Amino acid sequence: MSAYIDGELSLNDEQEFLLHLSECEPCRTEFEDAKRTKMIIRDKIIQFKAPQALIISIMQLTSFSTVEHEDTIIYE
Amino acid sequence: METPDPTHHTKAKIQKEVLSREERQKQFEFQNEAVVHLNALYNYALHLTMNPSDAEDLVQETYLKAYRFFNSFERGTNCKAWLFKILKNNYINRFRKNSKEPGKVDYDLIKDFYHSIKDTRSDTSESETDYFHSLLHEEVYQALHSLPEEFREVIQLCDIEGFTYEEIANMVESPIGTVRSRLYRGRKLLRAQLQGYAKKYGFNTDNSQ
Repeated sequence: MSAYIDGELSLNDEQEFLLHLSECEPCRTEFEDAKRTKMIIRDKIIQFKAPQALIISIMQLTSFSTVEHEDTIIYE
Repeated sequence: METPDPTHHTKAKIQKEVLSREERQKQFEFQNEAVVHLNALYNYALHLTMNPSDAEDLVQETYLKAYRFFNSFERGTNCKAWLFKILKNNYINRFRKNSKEPGKVDYDLIKDFYHSIKDTRSDTSESETDYFHSLLHEEVYQALHSLPEEFREVIQLCDIEGFTYEEIANMVESPIGTVRSRLYRGRKLLRAQLQGYAKKYGFNTDNSQ
């Protein structure tokens, strides 16, 4: 189930899983819950921005000429 | 009196330039491949250390090491996964040794943290009445951190960082089957925790769709 939610099943296994899901109410419920749990973690865990000082020191670490790299900072 | 040989001088200069061009190439590649993951690494370090200044140290150390060994990074593979692995190893070597009690979480710290830093995401529509939407960031964070570390870790790597099972297996040095079952069990535990919060708000979770 986790594997399906995470997109880790092979095509065959995926079809088998979906077939089972269509026939099994308890699994369906659990599947919905599991899916939601994943969403929740993704949505609710805040991703912090690295402190500016850290960014600068990492940039300095890896470049002698800071000028030309300055605008490459990191937006994910 | 000998005058300095001008050709000699130029040769040395050229050599230096070639070297630095290589170095610059490496830097450029490193910036594009590795430094772009700085935020993700910082967050991972925060989760591990629960302490902003430790997290900074850890990230810094990781990048130092990564830069030094950048040649051994297999081009074409996931650089973020490679960096996470380095960071994790650093963490184990550095912090675990200092007998920080594992699994002990400073909830006040988390609270402060969440209050002191503004959410960087724009809040999407909070209009849904789904109980999950009423959960606070802080509560989800606490629920996640209440899990045993082996569960928390895989959930985090999978759901937050989006690594594949194979990458996670490599990072935590366990077989893929183990990763899969930890995810399954971890999410179950997490769900129970979150439903606890939901009940607190008076949501009926027994038959939630």
